[in-house]
Amino acid sequence: MASKTITDSSGGAGARTPRRSLRRQGWVTGVLMVLPYTIFFLLFSMIPILYGFGVSFYDWSLLGEKSFIGLANYRNLLQDEEFRANLMNTVMFTLISVPLISGFGLLLAVMVNGIRKGQAFLRISFFMPYVLSVSVISSIWVIFLQPYTGLLNRILRGIGVISSEIFWLSDSTLAWASIIMATLWWTIGFVFVLFLAGLQDIPESFYEAAGLEGANRWQTFRYITFPSLSRVIVLVIVLQTIGSFKIFGQSKLITGGGPAGATKTVVFSIYENGFQTFQMGYASAIAFVLMLVILIISLLQTTLLRRFGE
Amino acid sequence: MLDRIYPYVVRIAAVLFAFMFLLPIFWMLSLSLTPEGGSLFAGGFNVSMDNYMTVLNRAPIFGWMGNSLMVSTITTAMVLLLASMAAYSFSRIRFPGSKILFILFLSAMMIPAEATLIPLYLLMRDVGLLGTRTSLILPAIAGPMGIFILKQFFDGLPKDLEEAARIDGAGFFKIWYSIFLPLSRPALAALGIFTFIGSWNDYVWPLISISDKAYMTITLGLPMFQSSYNQEYALPMTANALAAIPVLIVFLIFQKQIIKGIAFTGGKEM
Repeated sequence: MASKTITDSSGGAGARTPRRSLRRQGWVTGVLMVLPYTIFFLLFSMIPILYGFGVSFYDWSLLGEKSFIGLANYRNLLQDEEFRANLMNTVMFTLISVPLISGFGLLLAVMVNGIRKGQAFLRISFFMPYVLSVSVISSIWVIFLQPYTGLLNRILRGIGVISSEIFWLSDSTLAWASIIMATLWWTIGFVFVLFLAGLQDIPESFYEAAGLEGANRWQTFRYITFPSLSRVIVLVIVLQTIGSFKIFGQSKLITGGGPAGATKTVVFSIYENGFQTFQMGYASAIAFVLMLVILIISLLQTTLLRRFGE
Repeated sequence: MLDRIYPYVVRIAAVLFAFMFLLPIFWMLSLSLTPEGGSLFAGGFNVSMDNYMTVLNRAPIFGWMGNSLMVSTITTAMVLLLASMAAYSFSRIRFPGSKILFILFLSAMMIPAEATLIPLYLLMRDVGLLGTRTSLILPAIAGPMGIFILKQFFDGLPKDLEEAARIDGAGFFKIWYSIFLPLSRPALAALGIFTFIGSWNDYVWPLISISDKAYMTITLGLPMFQSSYNQEYALPMTANALAAIPVLIVFLIFQKQIIKGIAFTGGKEM
């Protein structure tokens, strides 16, 4: 085979490519170029997932004493009051923060999109918190929310909204409100930027047509802007939902999960069961429930995006 | 009438929102520049760097930032290299099983990193990597998002670009680094920014893996340092400022590219 290709290629300067051997050479190069990533993928993604799935069927302590207990971890999850509470907390946080952040992000994007002069300043202001780490934003907000000394209470008192101090982090509802405010401030830049890019992709002619039809501002938004953004909206909602389900840092660092565990989340459950009480098997079972939820959301996204694709 | 004032209302509201968003950052800087209990606005304009000196003496902030910089830079470089190679192969070279492999990688995008915390901990401990900076880099490279983003970009590049090179006798590998890499600089920059920010901000895996103070990243070390201050705000805020200022400076310099990059990768992440 090899000798045949050599005689073949002597014909013209690469004009008649020796197809077979080139394809063979392509295979080898193709495999070699995928190989390095594949090794990392196998070692640090595939194997851990399978391993973790296995661990979830064991009673597994930190030191490695383990006994197979079948589905017992998953059965126990159903009766675990604390896990149920943490799951409910996570669902509530998601249900409130996703529409809030997506809606406010869209509002900011629509506002900024219509402003030419000073648009860069506005973009920078809204996006800036997003580049900070969860540690920095959490600490800023903890200090920001302090009673007596914190800026937020001082401002609210100054403009007469409150007469007595608000203890933001000592009440479970207010603690969640604090986490949501901090999360909104931190992550809205991401949503805002996606919406702004989506808005700038809408052709000017759409608006001109709407203007000729005599559409008012609300009608233009309702019948031109909103439908043109449907893909971005689905994308933002799904990314936000997945991100919200994985919330941990803000809850760990702003409230410490408190007061009295009211702001603990699903990832908090993984962290505590795995690395504070060292029940590796149980924590793995929680991780798989989390993965299942996120898988379902992702699949839902694929279906929705396909529907809105055209 | 309403139509006449509408643009002004929007402008004023937008600027008000912008100041509200900037307020916590200004306040952070203001607290860090005044002694505990003081205020930048009350009692004249007394700026002092004392808090910065104290924090730098008490905590290895620069060491932590060095760790973060090292981890994030190596992660980003490795992701760009491996993902662009694999994405090129998936986009231009078909080998038996390449499609299945790509679908496998794609579906792995749905796996949250939080789901692998326990097995990663056990595996890293077994191979003696737990607690090292290497343990932070390796799992981050295994994320498949880069392949997906770059393959989409490569698929959009015209085929006749490489035909000429192919006729000149260039191999696939050469076409990848001499044609595809230079052409995809915007996509690589976008992916790089996304990866770097993600790695720099990672909190939960470092929290589990790293216990030695010397190997902590800034995202992990900062709350540890702050947790020893209860009713004091100037020093924790100064630590925040120290962690935030370099990031904010880099952001302000490259804000156009960073925002564009986030829009690009975020929009592709599906």
